[in-house]
Amino acid sequence: MRICCGLTNHLELARRPDLYGNPVVVGLWEEHVVAVSVEALPFGVTPGMALRQAEHLCPQATFLPPDPESAAHLRELISSALYDLAPTVEVRVEGVAWLDVNGVVSAGESIREARRRLRTAIGREPRLGLGPGPFSARLAAARARPGRLVQVDKAKTFLSPLSSHELPLDAEQLERLDLLGLRTLGAVAAIGPRELESQLGRDGRHAVLLARGLEPDQLTPWRPPLFTSAHRQFEEPVEDREALLFVGRALCGDLAEELGLRGAGAKHVRVRLHFESAEREQRETVVRHPLSSAAELFGLIGSWIKEWQPRAPITELWIELPVLEGAGRRQLRLWAGGDGTSEEVTAALERLQERWGDDVVRKPRPAQLSSPLPSQRFA
Amino acid sequence: MQELDVAINSIRVRFGSQALTRAAELPPPQPWPSRTPIDRLTGIGGLPHGRLTLLCGNGTCGKLTLALLLLAGATREFAHAVVIDTGSSFDPWTLIPFYPELSALTVVRAPALDLAGEAAIALARAGAGFILLMGEIPEHALGPLESGAGRSGTVIVGVVDAPGRAFAHASSLSVGFSRTDWIWERGQLVGLRATARCLKNRVAPPLGETELAIRYRLGARPLSDHPVQVAEVPRELTCESAVV
Repeated sequence: MRICCGLTNHLELARRPDLYGNPVVVGLWEEHVVAVSVEALPFGVTPGMALRQAEHLCPQATFLPPDPESAAHLRELISSALYDLAPTVEVRVEGVAWLDVNGVVSAGESIREARRRLRTAIGREPRLGLGPGPFSARLAAARARPGRLVQVDKAKTFLSPLSSHELPLDAEQLERLDLLGLRTLGAVAAIGPRELESQLGRDGRHAVLLARGLEPDQLTPWRPPLFTSAHRQFEEPVEDREALLFVGRALCGDLAEELGLRGAGAKHVRVRLHFESAEREQRETVVRHPLSSAAELFGLIGSWIKEWQPRAPITELWIELPVLEGAGRRQLRLWAGGDGTSEEVTAALERLQERWGDDVVRKPRPAQLSSPLPSQRFA
Repeated sequence: MQELDVAINSIRVRFGSQALTRAAELPPPQPWPSRTPIDRLTGIGGLPHGRLTLLCGNGTCGKLTLALLLLAGATREFAHAVVIDTGSSFDPWTLIPFYPELSALTVVRAPALDLAGEAAIALARAGAGFILLMGEIPEHALGPLESGAGRSGTVIVGVVDAPGRAFAHASSLSVGFSRTDWIWERGQLVGLRATARCLKNRVAPPLGETELAIRYRLGARPLSDHPVQVAEVPRELTCESAVV
């Protein structure tokens, strides 16, 4: 198992790159500090303390209210940027990004590219660590200089001299560790999990496993959102069907491009028309075979638009793909000529059935060939 | 001659180098050898891939028999042979004497012309090996059908009594059938003789004509033991008598 960790500042701080180099504290008044810039740390400001206390300690800092939505949006952007570098990616708003580079053909290239993308997203050089698990990789990254990588070969050897305060325990538990004389991870690793469990509960057992480099935690893989849409707002309400078809084709092209990048296909298609009268109409269907190309999408959506009888001029056209799934089996065509085509014919027949009913397509199978009734001869 | 060259050059400058191409430089359509007498009429040794071939003629002239023979051959050679049945008149039972591979056969019942057109376009674009149109499809579907088949190489055969103007125009090869005689044996009608004449050919220059003898065997044996014979009556090609 090889995990790469990129450490940056808290994503709340990345909203204001113009304040880099100055002490910044993010938090709500009367509440706790959410994020602290590196420049504010020497003043004793730490995340979790009361904001009043932080202001007392570092009055020259810039105080910002938190914006969780922006931070979550940035987290999604970073996750999607790293997703094509490794199959398993986890990004946290605290400024930690993990990539599972196991099985990646050129892990070095992926790590270099991850560094570049994190720098672009955050505006600062990330610190990088590579270890057998998320815990050791994170601690390695914390010890790297910005833009550099610290690699851990043997987790136990690397972790042994580090302070036990690196363990994910609360303040009371850490104090108890100090009272027990367990001031390094090596000391924690030396005692049995059951012994520490009897002192700290389940967290104690977990702490021992971490200190021994056994990496009990797994990454929580980020998955791209299974929804996408495209829309066009018309400056002048549209009444011309040809214009609507033209726009529909362009939107299908955009969606197909996005699906191609994701390697996904649409299992559910919805088209919405917004009218000048503020009313709206929609049509949707679940397709049996995922649609991924512009021709397939427009084949379905174009036929809807052609027969649609809108009751008023149209101000907006929405094409939504609420359910996506992997279009991996389309890759067959890469390996054997004809497989993809055969599948496309099957898909085309399924689309006809969806649109016109199951009875439209029949695969005749001999039943009672001697029957005088034609309907009984074939099933 | 010089003026012609100037005209050609000006067209190429204005509309691009591919606007005018010598016929000799065009890639020939790839034939699908159907191993039926019709191969000789096409001029390229088989039905053209990616083009529409029409079999037309008034009732009981043998065009449907030949189409079924082509369809049965296609089921053995292609992964997907599709019949688009516009008149709900196709009975798979009639295909049995030609020994089809039924697993490759799909029938699309298309009572509405729009459905027939949409099905033909979708299947041609998807790359179905062979499509048999049991009637005409709407005029607006012919363009997409041609372009779709052109890209995928689908062999399309249409069977109609008398094609409409647009359908005839869209076809690259039209073969007209006319019955010349009935075949009687021991006082029993066992088949017919028909003339197959190439009415239009956009894939090869010569137009040809041939005579077919179609024999439907009769008897008490199971249907699968009754092969329908479609044989070419030996005679010289009569290009001079062909109708343009």
